[in-house]
Amino acid sequence: MGRYFIKRVLGTIPLMLVVSFIIFMFIHMIPGDPARLMAGKDATPQEIQATRVAWGLDKPLIFQYGSYMDRLFHGNLGTSTETGQSVASMLTSRFQPTLTLSAVALLWSLFVGVLIGVYSAVKRSRWQDYLGMLIAISGISVPTFWLGLVLIQLFSVQLGWLPTGGLSSIWGYILPGFCLGTPIMAIMARFSRSSLLENMKEDYIRTARSKGLKESLVVLRHAFRNSLIEVVTVGGLQVGGLLAGSVIIEQVFTIPGLGRQLVEAISFRDYSVIMAELLLFSFEFVMINLIVDLLYGVLNPKIRYNH
Amino acid sequence: MIKRRKLVALLSLALVTSMIFSACGSGSQAGSASGQSKAGSTVAASGEAKSKDNDLVIAMSESVLTLDPANMTSTTTISANRTLYESLLTFDKDMKIQPLLAKSYDVSKDGKTYTFHLQTGVKFTDGTDFNADAVKANIERAMNEKNNLKVRKYFAEVKEIKCPDASTVQVILSKPYSTFLNKMTNFGIISPKAIQGGANLNNTADGTGPYKLKEWVQGDHLIVVRNDSYWGKKPTVNSLTFKVVPESGARIAMLQTGEADMIYPMPSDQIKAVDGTKNIKVESVPSNIVFYATINMSKKPFNDVRVRQAMNYVINKDAFIKVVFGGYGNHATSPMASTTQYYSKQNEYSYNVQKAKELLKEAGYPNGFSTSIWSDNTSDSQRGMQFINQELAQVGIKVDVQPMESATLNAKINEATSAADSKIQMWYCNWSPSSGDADGALRALFYSKSIPPTNANTSYYSNAKLDSFLDQGLVESDPSKLTSIYAQAQKTIWDDAPWLFLGQPVVQYGIKSYVSNVYMLADGSINCAQAALAH
Repeated sequence: MGRYFIKRVLGTIPLMLVVSFIIFMFIHMIPGDPARLMAGKDATPQEIQATRVAWGLDKPLIFQYGSYMDRLFHGNLGTSTETGQSVASMLTSRFQPTLTLSAVALLWSLFVGVLIGVYSAVKRSRWQDYLGMLIAISGISVPTFWLGLVLIQLFSVQLGWLPTGGLSSIWGYILPGFCLGTPIMAIMARFSRSSLLENMKEDYIRTARSKGLKESLVVLRHAFRNSLIEVVTVGGLQVGGLLAGSVIIEQVFTIPGLGRQLVEAISFRDYSVIMAELLLFSFEFVMINLIVDLLYGVLNPKIRYNH
Repeated sequence: MIKRRKLVALLSLALVTSMIFSACGSGSQAGSASGQSKAGSTVAASGEAKSKDNDLVIAMSESVLTLDPANMTSTTTISANRTLYESLLTFDKDMKIQPLLAKSYDVSKDGKTYTFHLQTGVKFTDGTDFNADAVKANIERAMNEKNNLKVRKYFAEVKEIKCPDASTVQVILSKPYSTFLNKMTNFGIISPKAIQGGANLNNTADGTGPYKLKEWVQGDHLIVVRNDSYWGKKPTVNSLTFKVVPESGARIAMLQTGEADMIYPMPSDQIKAVDGTKNIKVESVPSNIVFYATINMSKKPFNDVRVRQAMNYVINKDAFIKVVFGGYGNHATSPMASTTQYYSKQNEYSYNVQKAKELLKEAGYPNGFSTSIWSDNTSDSQRGMQFINQELAQVGIKVDVQPMESATLNAKINEATSAADSKIQMWYCNWSPSSGDADGALRALFYSKSIPPTNANTSYYSNAKLDSFLDQGLVESDPSKLTSIYAQAQKTIWDDAPWLFLGQPVVQYGIKSYVSNVYMLADGSINCAQAALAH
């Protein structure tokens, strides 16, 4: 297992190299001239050209890619064309709110979602099942934008219990964490329900029941443990999506996170910031996939990656 | 089984209906609940609303981009900068030039020498004295090509800077430049020690302003505190926070809960629901922005002035203001806004479908024609373009509405290097002159050399008479002659109708009644030099 882990970690390097090349080329192929955006609406063509040269944007793309990777390996993520600040400092300041908010959202939604899913599967076709799936469908269907604004009106403006936005106090995490987690809770609920139902049809479950085991043990110790693999896979994808920052929630609740920063950078064609964020998200996904794969080995001892 | 299905169906219906009602209801709930609180507050003994602290919070949709006063582009950046740095001159509420760091000034008869008499006893926040040498150091920094600063063009004609004594600066130009004084209202003076010391002027601030920098988290908030050593009348608030809140619903919520004391922009469709509730006032100031659609005169049928004028006659300007500005604003009565220097009112192309039809028939297009219009993809721009499409349809003109992401739009406009290359037919947008002057309002849009990619003249308007008016205006220094030159320029443009002249919005902001001495100017910048909170 250790060898497998090391092989996977080493394997991320060529993977990230390919990813970085693809991202770099795609970003630069989008129409729009960053030099013109930097120079401003009153700039003369000479000023725009001077800006272009100053930022190395007049060199051929391959050359620019080479310079970018060279700087990257020296630990330099570049400078933002919009703010003039170092990209590394911009990213670190935005990373923490996104991370903590994602953690808050995941903490409740993964557990509550799986709980609802399992309970619905166990009480299949009874009213608890229908209620659980109703909650799940609402969670996916309700637009988070609308939900956020309605909750702000209710809990901040009308009742005054919670702040309208920002993460300056611990109360500020509640509403955005709830809105972020709702679709995840919904997905996990539906998925764990269907996965569990599939497993409960298996023969070994009949055997366990006929052995006289308590139903709760049958469900939790046997059926659910086998569902865990699929549940963890889906959960892992949700985590990856959250860590990319949710632009909508960050916009509605005024949270200075990575999602909003990426959208602003794209509007301004701030290549260094876009590259850095997309590389970060790719890296996060790769790492999460690795962790999920390793978890398989923990969950099901039969899955081992040794040769 | 059937019973259960019905139950589920009923539950789902109930859930959906309750969601619909709560969405509609939250608007009226806000109205009724705040109606109650309004009654509550006017019954209070003094009848005055009070802030819970002495810290003013302003929630804006955009962030401050830099603290360097010589490199600002957005009005949000300018508003924040003006709390920290001051210029030689400033604009008052009526957009008239007033003294600030220069207590008076003289302009020589030939318009080439500007003499500024500076305030004495003023210090920067780092302890350095403000004097003529400090001003000279700032101008030299701006003129230095290596710094690549946005204000360099203000000083393009400067030949020499003299400091006859510590409180007098003379700037000598190689030729007259009539907007120089306007430009001096937008040139914040930085401490020379900070310039020479190589500090990063993007995120530090040593100015002479009524506030000093406390904390700046880019993209989130900027906090400045009262400068107790300020040379002039100090503000009474302890601190000022500029908070970035891009979502207008969230901004309004902050104003309602009191987390923000002022917000900008104020979406026009929420004004009626919010004005007068929870101690909120919605204020309006005429802006210096003009909304228009350019018409590419180099393409048929737009080369015929009758077609362009017909298009102007068929647009109902009152309807435009209702649809696009939510009912708040004025007709455009000149290519520049009424608050711009040397504005001259023109004869409107009043809404007249019959006249439009006649002109089109004369020009040979009795059944209209097809064309397209470009703009960015914000919902406001799309609404504007759809409106134009509907109006022009009244005379058979079919308009293909094409919203685009703004940097892509920019690229498409600027890839054409001449009128022949250009693909643009119409462009829906707005303009405001960054220094409030007539040249800034007209040159970039109508001068023959201002066609893309140089500047924004997407009408490809080329009129030698207009060019000569603008050139004369730049070197003339007599205000009465300037008034006449620019009046003629505006009439020339107006009669040629290179645009659909649409409207002039108002700058609207929401502010709590316990805030005083904070107001907005026509260009969308905020003045908080004397801010006070009743607390």
